[in-house]
Amino acid sequence: MEVAPMIRLEGVTKTFPGSETPAVDRLSLTIEEGETVVLVGPSGCGKTTTLKMINRLIEPTSGVIEVAGTDVTTEPAHELRRRIGYVIQQVGLLPHRTVAQNVATVPRLLGWEKTRIDARVDELVELVRLEPSIRDRYPAELSGGQQQRVGVARALAADPPVLLMDEPFGAVDPIVRANLQQELQVLQARLGKTIVLVTHDIDEAITLGDRIAVLNVGGILEQFDAPGEILARPANPFVESILGRDRGIKRLSLLPISGVALESGPVVMPGASAQDARRVMDRYGTDWFGVAEGERMLGWHWAADLTDSVVPATGARPFLARLRRGDSLRDALDVIVTSHTRAAPVFDGDRFLGMLTAETIAAELAR
Amino acid sequence: MIVGGTERPFFRWDWVGSHVGEILERVLEHLVLTGIAIGVGLIISALLAGLALRYRRTYGPITWLSAGLYAIPSLALFAFLVPITGFTMLTAQIGLVSYTLLILVRSIVTGIDGVDPAIREAAVGLGYSRRRLLLEVELPLAMPVILTGIRVTAVTTVGLVTITALIGRGGLGFFILRGLGRFFETEIIVGTVLSVALAAALDGLLVVVGRMVAPWTDRRSRVGA
Repeated sequence: MEVAPMIRLEGVTKTFPGSETPAVDRLSLTIEEGETVVLVGPSGCGKTTTLKMINRLIEPTSGVIEVAGTDVTTEPAHELRRRIGYVIQQVGLLPHRTVAQNVATVPRLLGWEKTRIDARVDELVELVRLEPSIRDRYPAELSGGQQQRVGVARALAADPPVLLMDEPFGAVDPIVRANLQQELQVLQARLGKTIVLVTHDIDEAITLGDRIAVLNVGGILEQFDAPGEILARPANPFVESILGRDRGIKRLSLLPISGVALESGPVVMPGASAQDARRVMDRYGTDWFGVAEGERMLGWHWAADLTDSVVPATGARPFLARLRRGDSLRDALDVIVTSHTRAAPVFDGDRFLGMLTAETIAAELAR
Repeated sequence: MIVGGTERPFFRWDWVGSHVGEILERVLEHLVLTGIAIGVGLIISALLAGLALRYRRTYGPITWLSAGLYAIPSLALFAFLVPITGFTMLTAQIGLVSYTLLILVRSIVTGIDGVDPAIREAAVGLGYSRRRLLLEVELPLAMPVILTGIRVTAVTTVGLVTITALIGRGGLGFFILRGLGRFFETEIIVGTVLSVALAAALDGLLVVVGRMVAPWTDRRSRVGA
């Protein structure tokens, strides 16, 4: 069955008055229901202009924009906007309204009844994980992170199918930003909105996007694909430059450990002979070995600890970093480069599954 | 002027005591004249400011015109108006209202211009229509600035009302004018002191009103609580 896309841009061009060259040039994009599309590119690439044309804060010079199969110009702009959530970097909370009143903005514009609005506000305050006690505060009394949460709650208030986000986490510090990004992912997994998000931060694009539209100066679409695809096969040197020099590392963050065959590693049973231990170390080219009883990992020893004819019964050093199958290869690489053993042990609860080494990871990237 | 001899005290409380009724009447008249001037001034200023905000090119001429009115010496203005509109309330109010326009128009336009563009953009993006944006977002946020303008205007107008005594109005100005006419200091002092007190009281009242209409400006100290 053919499902109409949630947002469709067809040959959209915007030339601002007094400008020779278009800010956005014959852009066509199709965004499916429930996906998160990130528009990324350098300043002047028209990403914000594109976003604002969807809710008609900017009117295109030519071309057609459809939301849910309807041309956006067929109804008054303010009515269209009440069905499209909008979040901006500066948040733009109404300073004269309390948190609850801010969240209630669109339902009030839509003329909902008071009891329905109150119930919805409660729901949203919980959804974006704000403490209920801040309901009656004014925006100036909130931290940046709290303000941004209120901004997201406000955008979601009337349950719009589409959410437009313009550099939503650009104004908060990196720690808060990482939290908010993660929460957006959790929220999105629950709500399944169609999200269009603008950012200049390629890492944010890779983290949040189901697909990424890479735009070049003048609103030219260079590549539009899933993050993994773009990282593995950038369409041209411009896309490569946007991805940066650590493109391989970025790709690793998208690849889960569960997709890679683990090695058993230089591991022996407790009570094994020193000779056995030396043999596994030779095979893996390490100067350490692990001791495991069945699936229970006891720890590891240096080669130099082998002073007897059998491996020591006690004194095994624990593996400090333990990875799980859901972690990314980037996490694994981090463990590898920071541990003494140059290996990343993977566990499922207490069960030892195997190890990853730099070689396995490099081989995976080369596939 | 300060020549108080022994047989004639400088300030005569007994005069005040025997004129309480008349003093209260004049205070009330003063308040009414001030109130009407500010009320009518606000309505006209709101219309002019609306015009200036909608059609930017009109802001220059509107400011220029109201500044011109503001610059005319009040005595000259009343002298000019009396042949046309006579010794009437209308004459008094034309003068008083004219002097409110410059500050009021400016404070309304400045107040609304001063609304953070991000707030305006977010509000429009969420679906505010133009009219509701003005009434529910821009005006409330401009209110602290507008109220400052109203305070200045109120204080100026209270002072200016005394001048209208020359055309038979004047509130407390009546006492000043009559006192001057017969070299009676007590009356001049009563008129002046009460006029100043009235201005101060009105200013204080508007500060309280300001806190009431903009409660959000008062609670920033709670950040991080």
